[in-house]
Amino acid sequence: MQDIRYYDIRHVQGQVTHIDIDNTVVESAGTSFFDHAVIRVLGPRGFGIITLDNYRDTSKKQLGELLDAALALAIITEENANLADTPGKILPVPPMKEDPRETGIEEKTAILLDIEKSARINEIVNTRANYIEKIDTVHFENSNGQEYNYETCRSGFSILAVASRSGIVQMGYEREHSIHGLNIRHRQELGRVAAERAVQLLGAESAKGGRMPAILDPELAGVFAHEAVGHASEGDLVQEGNSVLNGRIGEKIGNSILTIVDDPSLPEFGFEPVDAEGSEVIRTEIIRKGVLNSYLHSRETLAAVGNGCAGHARAVAGEPPLVRMSNTYIENGESSLEEMLGECRSGILLKGSRGGQVDPGRGVFQFNAEYGYLIESGELTRMVRDVSLSGEILQTLHSISLCGNDRIMSQGYCGKGGQSVPVSDGAPHVLLNDAVVGGSGND
Amino acid sequence: MMRWWAAVETIEKIIRDGQKRVDEVEVCYFEGRSISADLKREKIGYATGSQSSGLSIRVIDHGMIGASSTNNPEKWSECLNAAIKSANFATPQPWGGLPAPVVMEGKPLCYDSTLELAASTVSSLLKALIEGASHHPSSVTSGSAGLSESKSILANSNDLWYSRPTTMTSVSLETISGQSTGYEFNNSCSLDYDASAVGEKASFLASHSVNGRDISTGRYDVVLSPVAFAQLLGNVLIPALNGRNVQAGRSRLGNMLGEGMFDPSLCFYDDPVNERGLAGARWDAEGTPAQRVDFVKNGVVGAFAYDLKTAYRYGKKSTGNATRSGPGGAPGIGHHNFMADGKRISVCEERAIYVHDVVGAHTANPMSGDFSVELSNPFMVDGGSFEYPVRKAMLSGNVFDMLKEIGGLGKDDRCLGTSILPSIRLNKQQIIV
Repeated sequence: MQDIRYYDIRHVQGQVTHIDIDNTVVESAGTSFFDHAVIRVLGPRGFGIITLDNYRDTSKKQLGELLDAALALAIITEENANLADTPGKILPVPPMKEDPRETGIEEKTAILLDIEKSARINEIVNTRANYIEKIDTVHFENSNGQEYNYETCRSGFSILAVASRSGIVQMGYEREHSIHGLNIRHRQELGRVAAERAVQLLGAESAKGGRMPAILDPELAGVFAHEAVGHASEGDLVQEGNSVLNGRIGEKIGNSILTIVDDPSLPEFGFEPVDAEGSEVIRTEIIRKGVLNSYLHSRETLAAVGNGCAGHARAVAGEPPLVRMSNTYIENGESSLEEMLGECRSGILLKGSRGGQVDPGRGVFQFNAEYGYLIESGELTRMVRDVSLSGEILQTLHSISLCGNDRIMSQGYCGKGGQSVPVSDGAPHVLLNDAVVGGSGND
Repeated sequence: MMRWWAAVETIEKIIRDGQKRVDEVEVCYFEGRSISADLKREKIGYATGSQSSGLSIRVIDHGMIGASSTNNPEKWSECLNAAIKSANFATPQPWGGLPAPVVMEGKPLCYDSTLELAASTVSSLLKALIEGASHHPSSVTSGSAGLSESKSILANSNDLWYSRPTTMTSVSLETISGQSTGYEFNNSCSLDYDASAVGEKASFLASHSVNGRDISTGRYDVVLSPVAFAQLLGNVLIPALNGRNVQAGRSRLGNMLGEGMFDPSLCFYDDPVNERGLAGARWDAEGTPAQRVDFVKNGVVGAFAYDLKTAYRYGKKSTGNATRSGPGGAPGIGHHNFMADGKRISVCEERAIYVHDVVGAHTANPMSGDFSVELSNPFMVDGGSFEYPVRKAMLSGNVFDMLKEIGGLGKDDRCLGTSILPSIRLNKQQIIV
């Protein structure tokens, strides 16, 4: 055991409740249970890790055997990992306005059916509503004597409406997820919003691709902050040499109006009271006024790379921690949407998000809007569908010319290394002078 | 982990106890072990061993279906109660019973009894990846190698009791050369491949993408590699063949059974017992014998994928396409080894943009089929060889439309998780720069 420089144990037990309603039929509704643990041992060089199910009945003797097993794995590692010292501090989990567990599944199903019902308007051929509620009960302890216990509850719903007319099929989608408790009451109108958008999209044009100025709405600009900047600032990618932001700390990489932040302490969907290796979570300014300021780090990547803050290690139950984003956003600027439309003159407004992806080493990203509007003579005109945006990170950051003053956060999930964690992204409206817009419309 | 005989006893108890309370009970239990290690640049950064187990219970009572799952088989009673409670909330539907057992012949699929989960094997796979990468001028950024084994039992109150072992091995490597990246991987149930060739390919992609040339926006013939083809099919065509999406009005192919929707040479089918496949099965997740399903034959839509639940509801027959893809590991609709066939040509013989992979395929519109993706490692090819790398380009189109007339399929079928696919040549696609 003398070769063990450090160990930690993260044990997460909990339950997931879901409701799936498809075309008024309750397809399934129920609760499942899980119990996963991760034991990490820092040996003479790197980490040996054991992941196992049903840890809760593990005795002291069995724990000793698990530490030995993890150490045996650590022996094959070659990289000399060191851990930066970080403050260990836990924030209180924000209280819930209404604990979802206090409302029976029958009542939640009835509310969800109401949301779904409001989406059943003319030309809608399918409606689907989903509810999900996940309780994580976390116990963390490490060989430094730090120990934390907390519980989080994340819940939310989505409503999908599919419209069809003469062989054309389009969809509208609304979703809301929260750490603040049950959020499905009084949301019926969102069913209608999704449905009306699906019907509108039946008559929208396919976007014509090309280079043009583009305004991104707060949701899509949030995805831009996440995909184009957030991932490339993750310390593990920087350490591996797989990020275009490597070696650029202090460099002016974007317009001075641009500040991009990741903040796990913010009480939004990506909130963590303490990170997955026991470090305090703090607001980290990745880009401050156009200058690359900080990378996101775990204790290991902070020691190896520097230039940033630890507290960004996150993990799905039963998986080892990775450097991840939490709540990522572009800070408000001073422009109104009207000013941006006037400045843009001719281009496209992209709204909503169907997700995105990035190759951080190459510095190329792609993401897709749910829909958009053409901008002609500074006015919004026709609706377009299936419109996307791709670009090179460093070029695009310089191309942001105006930031709005209307930041909104949106909730979602982010995948990396096979782990999908809850995040929120946000921004005000943002104007890009020169964007590569994709669409299958023909000239 | 439970002792295996204890798991068997628990399953019998669940079925006995459940049958007193509901019409039918189905239990799926699995146990797995794995070992893996990850590279940080060219050194092993960490090594992981894992043990996992899972119990899924589904009950059916008067056409109401409920399910629950837990990691802990000792908590089976809580899980059974949750499954029965879950059934109480479901809308009742027509139900014709869980399958009875049939005799299954043939050796186990996706299993190599000689595979040993040894840390030394994982280390040597990583060394081979690095050695392969050294053949071209690039740097390794990350990589991984893993070995796993699992065994599972599917049992139901209709006396069905099937069990099977599976094994899996995987390697992957990421490399960079300047600002050009390369990624390659391989999976197989046994160590029947050369990991250094995987490393060599990742390094080739990065090093040969350096100094990419700019091309202009316009229409080009495009060759999608098996990986890029699988990405677009998986996000658009495969969901459109799912019987539940078809019946719910969420599939553009829903009303097209018997219609010629694609190139008259194109075939798409599920071949569950293909020996090359990584997701092969002799029975599906509900115990229905798995069978070949011809989704598209000679361009004509021929079948959709069904599990028992969707089939009973809409008066269809299960096609043996249940997979453990539902909430909490409950059965849902999927496929085993999704394959394509059609006219085979030398896809790179004539000038085209060869696309190794795409960025953002999951943002495609699964209803309409419209997509825009950024290209990874695009090369201009001619006369069967790479001419020069293309710096940056976006491909926009519609998956359903682009398959209406294809140039042809390659002769390079590759196993990729739940599909085995060749490359495909497509004529005059929209490229935006």
